Formats: sequence, structure tokens, C-alpha cells
Amino acid sequence: MAVTDASAVAAPETRVRPRGASRKDAWQRRLPLLPALIYTIVVTQIPFLVTLWYSFQNYFFDTPGGAHWTGLSNYKQVFSSAAFRSALLRTVEMTVSAVLVAMVLGVVFALLLDRKFIGRGVVRTLIITPFLIMPAAAALLWAGPMLDPNFGLLNYLLQPFGVHHVAWLSTHALGSVIVVMIWQWTPFMTLIVLAGLQSQPSDTLEAAKVDGAGALATFRELTLPHLRPYIELGILLGSVYLVNVFDAVRLMTDGGPGTTTTNLPFYLYEQVNNAFDVGGAAAAGVVTVILTIIVATFALRLFARVFQFEGAN
Amino acid sequence: MSGTIGWGVVAWVVGIAFFLPVLWMVLTAFKPESAAETWPPKFTFSPTLAEFRLVFSGWGPYVTHSAIATVASTALVLVLGVPAAYALSVHPVKRWRDGLFFFISTKMLPIVAAIGPLYVIALKAHLLDSIWVLIILYTAMNLPLAIWMIRSFMLEVPGEMLEAAELDGAGRTREMTEVILPVISPGLISTALICVIFAWNELFLALNLTVTNAATLPMFLISSVPQEGLYIAHLSAAATVASVPVVLVGWIAQRSLVRGLSMGAIK
Amino acid sequence: MADVNYIQATRVYAKDAPPAVDALDLDIKDGEFMVLVGPSGSGKTTALRMLAGLEPLDGGRVEIGDKDVTFVSPKDRDIAMVFQNYALYPSKTVAENMAFALKMQKVPKEERDRRVREAARLLDLDEKLLDRKPKALSGGQRQRVAMGRAIVREPRVFLMDEPLSNLDAKLRVQTRSQIAELQRRLGITTVYVTHDQVEAMTMGNRVAVLAGGKLQQCDTPRQLYDNPVNQFVAGFIGSPAMNLQTVPLADGGVRLAGIVLPLPNAVTTAASRAGLSELVLGIRPEHMHLADGTGELTGEVVLVEDLGADALLHVRLAGESNQVVARAEGRTPPAPGQQVTFHVRPEDTFAFNPGTGARLAG
Repeated sequence: MAVTDASAVAAPETRVRPRGASRKDAWQRRLPLLPALIYTIVVTQIPFLVTLWYSFQNYFFDTPGGAHWTGLSNYKQVFSSAAFRSALLRTVEMTVSAVLVAMVLGVVFALLLDRKFIGRGVVRTLIITPFLIMPAAAALLWAGPMLDPNFGLLNYLLQPFGVHHVAWLSTHALGSVIVVMIWQWTPFMTLIVLAGLQSQPSDTLEAAKVDGAGALATFRELTLPHLRPYIELGILLGSVYLVNVFDAVRLMTDGGPGTTTTNLPFYLYEQVNNAFDVGGAAAAGVVTVILTIIVATFALRLFARVFQFEGAN
Repeated sequence: MSGTIGWGVVAWVVGIAFFLPVLWMVLTAFKPESAAETWPPKFTFSPTLAEFRLVFSGWGPYVTHSAIATVASTALVLVLGVPAAYALSVHPVKRWRDGLFFFISTKMLPIVAAIGPLYVIALKAHLLDSIWVLIILYTAMNLPLAIWMIRSFMLEVPGEMLEAAELDGAGRTREMTEVILPVISPGLISTALICVIFAWNELFLALNLTVTNAATLPMFLISSVPQEGLYIAHLSAAATVASVPVVLVGWIAQRSLVRGLSMGAIK
Repeated sequence: MADVNYIQATRVYAKDAPPAVDALDLDIKDGEFMVLVGPSGSGKTTALRMLAGLEPLDGGRVEIGDKDVTFVSPKDRDIAMVFQNYALYPSKTVAENMAFALKMQKVPKEERDRRVREAARLLDLDEKLLDRKPKALSGGQRQRVAMGRAIVREPRVFLMDEPLSNLDAKLRVQTRSQIAELQRRLGITTVYVTHDQVEAMTMGNRVAVLAGGKLQQCDTPRQLYDNPVNQFVAGFIGSPAMNLQTVPLADGGVRLAGIVLPLPNAVTTAASRAGLSELVLGIRPEHMHLADGTGELTGEVVLVEDLGADALLHVRLAGESNQVVARAEGRTPPAPGQQVTFHVRPEDTFAFNPGTGARLAG
């Protein structure tokens, strides 16, 4: 029944309704799809093509004369740019740490929420709330009322532990941003893992009890294997969302101090807004997209089970 | 079972600790600025609505823009998404797998990569700082998610129900309006809620492509942090007000959240 | 190997609701195959789960082998259970499923493998299946793996919760006899829950009939059939069911179909001593003997169900609104609409108190 578990997680197979191969029928089927398809192609692919075009152009907003062809020089610059490499590295650092910690916390929280206790619904609501807070609001909330060196709550709460007026956003900038990412995305992981826990058939757990498995053995031998597709889904989707984090970086540290918290989205933003370098930003953007495609293909293959494109159960 | 009460307490502690920053934010929103920037931080003070009044006096255009962009893009998403989901589930096109994969691929590619050219395109199309550019982009942003979700709901409609409708003489339009839509309406609502959440909270595109005429609530939030002077209480009030709609929506529709967030993969 | 005792075992779910299991007293002998049977909601599954330790007791106690296990956790009771939906571990292979409990007991690997193979052989499970996961097996195969998981334990008691209910009819009949034979061979005390009285009658050494959380009667199948102690057991055991009808008392018997049907003296005495003016009369379909116009009961055939060897006649007796079912020979049954007569021997009838359901003079 492993796939029956994962099938609750997979993209369900289509209901195949063969209706004869007439051309009219084929067009009747296509028609409803066309508006969304055309819309998406126009709105997403055209900008990408334009990006591709500009990546070969030398185009600065603040320079008169518009864009002119410059071949691969933008790309050369991207690959030799320490700033780009640093942003890339930072993105990986931030994403991996946030996703892993959020998932571990998510599993712990889900286990807590899986048992019955008084006010369980309330606690669940409390745990989900950070995800619902506007990311811009969360960033400003942590930057100000929480982490301010002079009147932030965190410094106050940590006083008994010998912590004094730490300027978190200066000395621990990266950590602070990652903490906010974790704070906002743990609920997401919690909910996904909780769905997994609640889909575990209860009689299997009872059979384990009768077979002599204690709580730890049951978790290790039964629950974790059952949760695997859910955890994989959480990690995959969480990564997709977290790679693109922008609000926290812009509003908490503005990419700094220096470039310690500059990730790819922020780097691209700066290229456009501060350097006015449309060509350079475009090239960086194209490289980012290619990298994303590589990673996504790799990840999708790894987690193919989760999205079950190949055939039914 | 003796263990149960212990775990319940742990769960409550965890829940409150996790929620604490939100609580602090709301608390601080009721403080006068003088009481907000103190050491040690004040837990008791005489509450005031001054900051909220300030927020409400300034937020008018911003919240209007947010509302328009959110509602319009969500409506457009549903209008485009429902037929598309239909064509990928109930009466699928031959290459539905490719179609699905295409939609999800647009979600995977970072929008940030195209921001420069997007700016230029918007500029040349005279859409810069117009609510339309947001509506158009938010729709494209939420459409793949919506199609995945709505598709998963449509697949749950019992095959026999559709066959019965077919025998009763229902054509495709009838099938949609009389059978499918009523059955999946709760699903449509959860899809709409997820789209609302993402559109309402969106900052990056708004920041880069709008200035004043279409500035949304997240940008109002940023503007509440002045260059100098006291601002903590005002910021908290603005953050609270900005977050309330989505928090309420999320609290009410908790179960839909799971479904939406996992793109319909988890029921 | 051990005997099992329920002593005043009680389970209550909601405070003001009637108990799910009400002061159950049941003694199961070592090596016996005891069937708990009853309609849904009768408490049979709850009683089984109380024995397994999956339900707590709200009163009374449960003993296995003379030891009070009421507060002992399931894994320390030395029992094995076959669940209704098999409850196989989906992420593990068949062999791992069967060996799981042994692994928990820290039995060494070679021993585990040996016992798994032996159990597979006993159950006619192909060795090739041992490395497959449950999802790759058919319903019947999964059922056998569930059984294998229990057998491998060599426990003191087997518990089975409707293990055949998910199989199709033919497979059910086949597996029924296999389970009964297996139990005879292994000699392990078995408590078996089912709602199907045919299973109960064919498999059990003794059968305990439950209804509304209370034990109605615990006896051998033969005794249950021939000597039901109350109306419920009489109507539950036997297929097609016993004909039951409330009839007024008359001189030396009861009034039925316009005549006085004589009843044994013991019954009429018991009825008058209880001050009854009517009683519930029970006649099994095979005790309604079709007589060629000479029978004392007359009626009209409404429906004939031809089963091949037998026929079941649905008859409306003269002057009665209910229909009764009578068993007749299959080859030349009467036709619908035909008038027929039946002969019933007084000693073949059953009589029950209409208020309490208790058997009168059984």
C-alpha cells in the first residue's frame, strides 16, 4: 500500500473518456484549455524571450541611446562576477537551511498536533498564523519590534541567558533572515506532514501495538516510511517558494551588511534598480532560469513519485 | 494515558511561543510611540488607537489598489482556470500531461529573473504604475496553482454522476454548470482563497512596477518606516491592519490551506 | 496456550449511553475456537478489542491463562490479532510484515526467516510473494499474510476480527474451512468475531451470541440451534430464519391460522404461570411439513424461491397478515397462488415470553 499512501499525495490520474478520434472532438477538448494556455504563454514566455533578447544587449537605463548588441559580454560578466556567485551561494545557503529546519520543526509540530488534547484546534490556528502574516509585515515586524538592539523583544527575553542588546541585523544578519524564513514556512511544512500523519490508517498502528512495537519503534518503522512522500513534497514545494524570497531580504537588511544577505532575487533587483543595468540583469536572469531548470529537473526526477506523471498506481 | 496531558502542555507552549511575535505586533500596535520604544519593552501601558487612526487615514488608495488587484486577478484566474482544468481532467486533451507540466514549469521559474525586461515592457506598453499590470501578472502568477487545484477537485466528481448526466442528455456546458460546478464549489472557494492570499501579500512585482497610482498595501507598509523618527508603534499598527484580512481568511479556511499549498496533491 | 476469561467486563463510551459491552461473563477453554457473533453494534468487536488491550475496561476484568491482564499493554499479553482490513504494513514486504513482531522481540534473523517460511508454507503462500509489498497482492493473498503475521508469533491466543468479510463469497467459503482446519492443527485458543451466523455455526466449537452489549447465549452450534434460550437467539441463528409470530393463547395451545395449534404441556403451564394471554410462537421453516391437504394449517403460497435442492415457500396462512417461510422439496414445489396445508409437531415448536423474550419451558 505504499503507493496508495503516495497516491494521496500524487497528481491524480486523469479520468480517461475516450470519445472517438474525430477532429471535431479533439478541438472541442482543446477549446477550454486555450484561453488559459494562450494567456500564460503570452504573459510568461514573452517576458522570458525579451529577457533573452536583452541579455545580449548593452542596455542601461541611465545611459541615453537605448540598447545595442553586445553578444555574450553580459554573460561573461555574470560568470566572472563575484557578486553573482556570492548571491548564488547565499541563495543556496538560505534555502537549504530554511527548508531543512522548517521541515524538522514541521515534523515535530505535526506530531504534537496529531494527538488529542484540550484546545488542539486553537494551538493549530496559532501555529499556522505566521504563514498568513504578510511577508512584508513579518519582515518589518522582526526587523523592528522583535530584533531592534535597543527595544526589541528578543533581547529582552534572552536577558536571563546573558544576552545583552545584540544588534541582530548587524552581527547575525543572515541568521536573522533565515529565522524569519523558517518562522513563516514551518506552518506550511507542519500542515503537509500533519496531512500525512492523519492519512495513516489507524488499524496499522494498532497492529504494530499488538505486534509489540513501542512508540519509538512504531515511528521509525511505520510512520516515517509513510511520511516520506509528504516530506519530499514539502521539501520540493518549500524550496520552490523559498528560493524566491525577497521581502525579508529587502526589508530587514537590504541585502547587507555589505552583501551578506544578498540572494539571487535581491541581486537581480539591485541590478535593475540601482545599477539600471537591464542587459546585465537579463543575463543574470537567464543564467538563474537555466540553473533553476537544471535543479528542478533533477529534483523532479528524484521526487518523481510525488508528482506521478508516469501512469497510474 | 499519562503521557497525553504532558504532550498537550508542550503543544500549548510551542503554539504560544510560535505565535508570540504576532501577539507582540498586535500589542505594540496599540501603544503610543513613546511606550513602544522603551527599554525594557513595556507590557502594560495605556492603549491608544492613535496609530490605527493614522494608518486608516493614510491607507485609502493602497487598500483600494490591493483589493482591486486581488479580486480582479482572482476572478480572472477562475474564469481562465476552470475551463483549463476541465480540459485537463474530465474531457482531457490528448497531451494533458504536457499541458500540466507546462503550467507548473511557469511556477517554478523565478519571476525575479525577468524583472528588468518586465519593467521595460510595462514602460513601453504604458502599463507602468497601472493597476492593470498587477492584475495581469497576478493572474499569471496564480493560474498554474489554480489549475492544479481545480483539476484535483474535478477528478473527484464521481464518474457515474457524469455518465448519468450524459444519459440524461446534458451537453458539455450543461455538464459543467449543472453537475461539475455545484459539486466542486467548496473547492473553488478554497482555490480562490489561496489566490487571494498570494495576491494580497505580493510585494516584489508591486514594488518594481508601481509607484503611486497602483501602489498596494505591502508598499504602504514600507512607507510606514520613515527615514528617521519613532515608528515602531505605527509600523506595528500598519502591519497588523495589512495582515488581518489574510489571517482571518486563513483561520476560517484552514483545511483548504493544505490542499492549496500542496497544489491539490494532498487532499 | 491458555484459557481466556471475561469477568463482568464492561465498556461504556458515552456517559449516559447504554454500555457497548455490558458485564460480559465468558469462559473460553484452552485450545477452543470461540466465535462471538451478533448484529452490528452488539459489542462483539469491542469485546475482542478489550481482550486485545486496544480498548480499556470501564468495569470488570479480563484474564488470559489465569492472569489478570486488564491493565497489561497489548504487546505483553502474548496475543496475535488478524484485523478486518488486514492492517498490513504498507512500506514493508510480506516477509517483513510477518517478521515484524519477532523483530520487536529481538528474535535473531535466521530464526525469523525460518518461522516466516514455515508460516507461509502452512498458509499456502508462494515463496515468491515474500518479497512483494502488500499493494501488489490480491485480497485473498493479503488475508493470508495477515493470518501469517499472527501465526508466526505462536501466541497464546489468536484474535480475529471478521477476517473473511472483505473476501468474495466463494473465497470466503474456501478460506473458512482452511482457518478452521489450521486452528485444529495448531491448537491455539482462538476468539473469532463475525456477524455472519453461517460462519459462526460452521467454525466454532462454541458460539457466543451477543446483542446490545449483552451475552445472549453461549453454547455449541447444535445447542444454539435446537435450544435457543431466547427469542433473539432463535431468530438470529438459522437460515432462513425461524418464523416468529405473536399469537393468542387458546385452550391447550395457541390460535393460529384459524385453528388451535396444540403445544406441549410444559409450555402452556409456563405461560399461564407467567400470566400471559399471548406468546411468541417460533417454528423453523423445515418443521413446517407440507401435507397433501391433511395438514392442520392452511394457507396460500405467495412466492416460491427455488434453490435447486430445496424450495422456500412464502405462505400467507389463513386469517393471518404475516407471511411464514416453509422449506419444501425442490423438484415439485407448489405454484404461487396455490392453497396448501402444513403439519407441525408440537414438540418442534418454540415459545417465548412476548415481554422478556425468554424461552418458555425450554
